[in-house]
Amino acid sequence: MHFAIKELNTSLGKIRDLDISIGRIEEEGWTDPVGPTPFPSLASLRNWDLTLLQRYRPFYMPFCDLCCLCTYGKCDLTGDKRGACGIDMPAQQSRMVLLASSIGAATHLSHARELVDRILERNGHQKPIDVGGHNVEVEAPIIRLVCGIRPRTIGDLEEVLEYLETEVTQLLAATHTGMEANNLDFESKVLHAGMIDQVAMEVADIAQVSAFGFPRADPEAPLVQLGMGTVDQKKPVILVVGHNVLPSIDIIDYLEHNGLSSDVEVTGICCTATDMTRYSPSAKIIGPISWQLRYLRSGIPDVVVMDEQCIRADTLLEAQKMRTPVIATSPKNCAGLPDRSGDGAEEIVADLVAGKASGALILDSVKAAQVAVQTVLEVAPERSHFKVLPSTDMITEKAGECTQCKLCRRSCPNDLAIPDAMKAAAKGKFSLLNEMYDECVGCGRCEHACPQGIPIHSVICAAAQKQIKEETFTVRAGRGAIQDVEIRQVGGPIVLGEIPGVVAFVGCANYPKGGREVAEMCMEFAHRRYIVVTSGCAAMSAAMYRDDEGHTPYEMYPGSFEAGGLLNVGSCVSNAHIAGAAVKIASIFARRNLRANYEEIADYVYNRVGAVGVAWGAMSQKAAAIASGFWRLGIPVVVGPHGSKYRRMLLGRADKKEDWSVFDARSGERVYVGPVPEHLFVAAETKEEAAVMVAKLCMRPNDTSKGRAIKLNHYIDLHKRYMGTLPSDIPLLVRTVADIPLTMKSDVLNILRESGWSEHSIPDPTLLSSQIREKKGVR
Amino acid sequence: MFDEIPVEVGLVHEGERIRRKDMHLEMGGPDVKEKFELVQVRSPEEVQDGAIRVLGPDLGEMKEGGSYPLGILIEISGTKLEENLEGVVERRIHEYSNYIQGLMHLNQRYDIWIRLSKKSFKKGFTSLQLLGKVLIELFKSELPIIERMQVTFLTDAEAIKKPYAMALSTYEARDARARGLTDEEVDSFYGCALCQSFAPTHVCVITPQRYANCGAISWFDGKAAASIDPEGPIFTIAKGSCLDPVKGEYAGVNENACKKSLGEVERIWLYSAFGYPHTSCGCFEGIAFYIPEVEGFGIVHRGFQGLTVNGLPFSTMADSTAGGRQVDGFHGISLEYMRSPKFLIADGGYESIVWLPADIKDKLKPYIPSQIFGSIATEQDAADLDGLRSFLLSREHPVVTRWSEATVNSDAGTLPVLSGGDLPLVTHGVRIILKNARIYADRVIIEPLKKEKQV
Repeated sequence: MHFAIKELNTSLGKIRDLDISIGRIEEEGWTDPVGPTPFPSLASLRNWDLTLLQRYRPFYMPFCDLCCLCTYGKCDLTGDKRGACGIDMPAQQSRMVLLASSIGAATHLSHARELVDRILERNGHQKPIDVGGHNVEVEAPIIRLVCGIRPRTIGDLEEVLEYLETEVTQLLAATHTGMEANNLDFESKVLHAGMIDQVAMEVADIAQVSAFGFPRADPEAPLVQLGMGTVDQKKPVILVVGHNVLPSIDIIDYLEHNGLSSDVEVTGICCTATDMTRYSPSAKIIGPISWQLRYLRSGIPDVVVMDEQCIRADTLLEAQKMRTPVIATSPKNCAGLPDRSGDGAEEIVADLVAGKASGALILDSVKAAQVAVQTVLEVAPERSHFKVLPSTDMITEKAGECTQCKLCRRSCPNDLAIPDAMKAAAKGKFSLLNEMYDECVGCGRCEHACPQGIPIHSVICAAAQKQIKEETFTVRAGRGAIQDVEIRQVGGPIVLGEIPGVVAFVGCANYPKGGREVAEMCMEFAHRRYIVVTSGCAAMSAAMYRDDEGHTPYEMYPGSFEAGGLLNVGSCVSNAHIAGAAVKIASIFARRNLRANYEEIADYVYNRVGAVGVAWGAMSQKAAAIASGFWRLGIPVVVGPHGSKYRRMLLGRADKKEDWSVFDARSGERVYVGPVPEHLFVAAETKEEAAVMVAKLCMRPNDTSKGRAIKLNHYIDLHKRYMGTLPSDIPLLVRTVADIPLTMKSDVLNILRESGWSEHSIPDPTLLSSQIREKKGVR
Repeated sequence: MFDEIPVEVGLVHEGERIRRKDMHLEMGGPDVKEKFELVQVRSPEEVQDGAIRVLGPDLGEMKEGGSYPLGILIEISGTKLEENLEGVVERRIHEYSNYIQGLMHLNQRYDIWIRLSKKSFKKGFTSLQLLGKVLIELFKSELPIIERMQVTFLTDAEAIKKPYAMALSTYEARDARARGLTDEEVDSFYGCALCQSFAPTHVCVITPQRYANCGAISWFDGKAAASIDPEGPIFTIAKGSCLDPVKGEYAGVNENACKKSLGEVERIWLYSAFGYPHTSCGCFEGIAFYIPEVEGFGIVHRGFQGLTVNGLPFSTMADSTAGGRQVDGFHGISLEYMRSPKFLIADGGYESIVWLPADIKDKLKPYIPSQIFGSIATEQDAADLDGLRSFLLSREHPVVTRWSEATVNSDAGTLPVLSGGDLPLVTHGVRIILKNARIYADRVIIEPLKKEKQV
């Protein structure tokens, strides 16, 4: 473009004969075309959902046979019975899943809303979104994909939040009596809730990364300390528990402004802990949710600050027992405390220090921070006698009161052999109690079951004092997003089959046998050169291990998105980056248009990207929502045994050949591809079963032969190691002879020969007829 | 498959590292001068199939903690084998020996280094015969074109001397042959469909002088793969007649492109980034990006952090390049292709390269014509287009002559009168932003204005 100006009068001066040439004119916008589903509503993606659900039918495991949501009830739904409103068991189970997922999505969304509002208030609408500098071009893959917009500033996120809030309201409405009637339609809405949840998490995390200076897609985010043993008990100790980092940030800032940073220990439990170490690497993570009770009872924290989500409802009661003042900071969790937001900080501090009040609700995080710090400085010296270890005499004495009624064991979610341990402890042998510490999820139900009133959980922790002191681990601070450059870097290895899959360990700490299994699984897969990603409580559990040389897993494996990497993306809301990485593979390798193009991208991810989620200790409704978000993108999720309490699995039927055909996008023909991935949502009983399942679920129809060979190799090897046998479904997973792992060739060929196996082709796979490619004048 | 081997053999052991304290002994490595591994194609009668010989002390006879010379000479025969494939076969020694539990193999050729762990030695891995067995078993099952194979290990300091010298000269001859092989000399190129699984319209053409974009597959690799598994993802492309020797257009390549991309890509010019360039998948090692302002190319590789000279990072340009498309002026390449005399030759080759990250410029020094080497800027010489222009001018880069031809009347060397990051011009409801605007004027007149009267 070229234009000339004869004469121009400006404040700068008079310009004559100005000649302007412009190389390129670029619209200050986004040139990618808008796909078919911008801001999708409840039914926009229903066809895609039903396509998936056709293959992965819900397999119901009613956690409760009754519906008691309306006054017609309770209605018995067993057998073929229908309730008073006409609902049947499958629909009711799926309805409950929808309710749970909607709660989860609402929770992340409300969290995101709070973060964004606060950033807008402090930094204005123009605060730019920056999640990874030059190395991240696609800053918000999920928002681009779902909403079809490209947010540039925090202000741009408001439009997204408004959309999400509408959708969650719609979803919740669908669970009302007499609304949705069909189980698969409920399931479709579950997937919608999951997608909404992914967007909400992305909003929350990109907002906090951009505004608070968290590591920006940094593979070398600092290693931070984790574990009860890392706390310097000589200093006043603040515990922040929950998921919303704002109060923690204000505490850290207050300490810094007042030159107190090195005088006070700031410790955290759950995702707040993760996020505050992203803000300040000197903050300490105590552990996942299961550490709440034991840490409170240790007397170590001198002040407790609660924000929101996954906080024990008896926190105030437990804190009162240890005379630990509690400050509640979230309108979503007021804990029955008086609202002191309008009172002066000194006044509140004085009441807390004097013990006139056991806690305060302060809905102003800056004031809450000031109160927390001033209180902790005053109460800590007085509280030193609460930090005394319980004596072994106390353990023996309490254990001696046990009558072996076994009610504790019946109430224990993991069926721990508490009565046996008590019997031994009464005789002064603590090893059984001690062993139990690792497997205890810290729920405290045993204590409420005990007719003798024995503080069983405390007794277990007392027996494990030495172990607790040795809880000194390191975890890599949450790095945030995956760089575009990293995604491109793994392109070759994924295509050439050198990386067998991406495994994400996410979710809570309701483990069947302790968190150590998460660390073991992470190392197993990192060692096998999978890309291993962690987040939330699972990221902490993955750290709680040391090898012979004293290294934690995060020290053993690199933090980059590469073969054999172990990456902590961050807290729960950082989960969006895991889905985001899968989505970015589609946009980066194939240059598929992300913008409002959900169905095509999900189809791409489902058929091509060998990613699997593992929520070994999935507990919450948020975890249900997170999993649902992965399913809609076609990413399978494996849960631990407690995950079956989510009421249904989404299982494929490997035995039904007709279920496993796809379109070959090159020819339009339907082609059999074998049962890959076999399930979308499945519970494993043991760590071993889970590992084998993960290796299997990484297979995809488009695997190159080299890729399939390496995936099969790990699957068969793990099956042999853990199950002691060769898997029976090898013939279903081998497509051509070139798929057979090199070091297993003769054995596998024998199996194939005996099974009457025949070769089949590898198509360009898609479930969508719209993706069949047009042939243009092929000679 | 490996019942006689006392330790496990499997992929899971591939990444195993053996530290000194866990090591029983090592062979080759930095402490030993004479070490090599070599594959030689022989006539069938020269190969005693399955024979494994150890010349010198075997593992059981070596001192614990010791360091020994090592030569691995693999001799193979087969009707379809040719000398050209020796290098490809040889590189698999590394992969296959690493499948053995407790055995670590590093590097290749004259640089090899093997460590055996204490654990595996204790389990009974006490002879190189076992390594030989594993190698023969894996090679013959994976590469059926190998019909006969024998392995000789040399561990004696004297015995290794002659074969070592022979190996060195073989590597040299092989390299010279590979470097000298031209696209014109061969009848077949190779295609790779692996990336199509992610980018379905990508058509990868591998020629002696144009490596695959990923940098992982040479023409020799292609040849080996296609002859081992003709049905596999790497296949032969009959070159067909040459339609344009400068741009690198071949009838057979076009025909294959059309077929494999379902008509999306009809023509390919192998040595150009314009017109009908080779498609770019998702895993290219670098990008050649055209800079219209200086009429030359910049190159950026994946590992380059920060902004390139045109103000864009790798990630942004990669986004414009990828996806199996033909994009004018954004061209995915391998670093190896930059060592080829055909490198972008249709667009001027190195004479049109104006900017390169220092890191790769250094590595490519022997391949860049010496008269141009000093004229190519790196990030240390020029951080933006202005800097680049003046650098190129001062070094008399060949592209500079093109500027004067094209803009006869303008004075390219003058300084801008006005230059700004973003210069917004607002007219009726539209805002036009001039990015990095620089305004040049023929003449600038500065005269004081009379002050307007204050009211």
